[in-house]
Amino acid sequence: MSQPPGDTCPVPRSSKACRCLFGPVDSEQLRRDCDALMASCLQEARQRWNFDFLTETPLEGDFAWERVRGLGIPKLYLSPGSCGSGGRDDTGGGGRRPSPSAAALLQGTMAQEDHVDLSLTCTLVSQPSEQPEGSLGGPGTSQSRKRRQTSMTDFYHSKRRRIFCKRKP
Amino acid sequence: MELLCCEVDPVRRAVPDRNLLDDRVLQNLLTIEERYLPQCSYFKCVQKDIQPYMRRMVATWMLEVCEEQKCEEEVFPLAMNYLDRFLAGVPTPKTHLQLLGAVCMFLASKLKETIPLTAEKLCIYTDNSIKPQELLEWELVVLGKLKWNLAAVTPHDFIEHILRKLPQQREKLSLIRKHAQTFIALCATDFKFAMYPPSMIATGSVGAAICGLQQDEEVSSLTCDALTELLAKITNTDVDCLKACQEQIEAVLLNSLQQFRQEQRDGSKSEDELDQATTPTDVRDIDL
Repeated sequence: MSQPPGDTCPVPRSSKACRCLFGPVDSEQLRRDCDALMASCLQEARQRWNFDFLTETPLEGDFAWERVRGLGIPKLYLSPGSCGSGGRDDTGGGGRRPSPSAAALLQGTMAQEDHVDLSLTCTLVSQPSEQPEGSLGGPGTSQSRKRRQTSMTDFYHSKRRRIFCKRKP
Repeated sequence: MELLCCEVDPVRRAVPDRNLLDDRVLQNLLTIEERYLPQCSYFKCVQKDIQPYMRRMVATWMLEVCEEQKCEEEVFPLAMNYLDRFLAGVPTPKTHLQLLGAVCMFLASKLKETIPLTAEKLCIYTDNSIKPQELLEWELVVLGKLKWNLAAVTPHDFIEHILRKLPQQREKLSLIRKHAQTFIALCATDFKFAMYPPSMIATGSVGAAICGLQQDEEVSSLTCDALTELLAKITNTDVDCLKACQEQIEAVLLNSLQQFRQEQRDGSKSEDELDQATTPTDVRDIDL
């Protein structure tokens, strides 16, 4: 692993901080645990937002989902959509995961075309809540927050293992 | 021709904003701080593999990395907050603990720094036992489990609020601040403090810093007791709780100094090791 030139604070050659603390790391176990935890996040998000983020289908629940168009959202925030079929990491070349690799997603290499039709907004409908109208439920105050209009667009990507849980810290 | 050569700090800082230091902000911080505490004492109820000494090991390593990389002071305590909140919810094998620590530093650094730590660099610090790719994947896992709630309140958020309310000579402030920051870092390495509200750790750290400095020189016109009462008032903390907290903080310092001296004795065989003592450098400057 090389360090980029011009690094203001490179790792000193003989740094004692470079050490492995708890023995060798099993990459396979890391992968399995990572997948399991991501799946559980997805499941939590599915329940939280009554929306299946894998198949992009609204489910029964407190939120009413509707499609919106033409929000003028920068490409970066939009779903990679159909590029899954042509994605480098899907088919091989080191990527063994069924879904696009996180690194590729983070680097934005998968974003190709606009898919504005995938943007959705959700509105909270008739949820019994003990909280007074308009109270600002910040992070972690209550699970039953009242929100009039939540635009999910910015969080929203299809076919990505993404997490949308916004309840408690 | 005369040339002037200046070293320019690559990090550009905003000037302090007075508007962010008023009481409204302090009250808001006090209101929301508890939301970012770990939900339980996880060694008892969540973790099976991870022991308290392992948290100390990974924390010490994280602090070393942050110091060597000259990270902003808040990065380390914030990363520890992420680590504790994650561990409070997810049973984790010990072999994943260093990766988790690296991910937490990665996230905290991105949130707080203009030039953040890179994934590659953090992997080098794990002696390449993890790959950047794994770090990035686990970044998403940690983000998900933290509900993307990264802007946690840390003790550092309170320091300026507290300092400006003390009857202090200006020239002593930077020394007090520096010592308080060292105490905060020390607290973050010790699980005892993980469930304490950040305001209490900040208040206790400022108290410990001033009382410690007071022994050598006059840094405050107040006695230690009067100081504690004033501090307690500033952050609405119970006086007795604050006293207990400050005593614990001082005990942690004492402990870590003893550990450092021990290491120094052991390490005198090899000078190489002396440089690499795991105690933060600043602690050596503090005298109890």
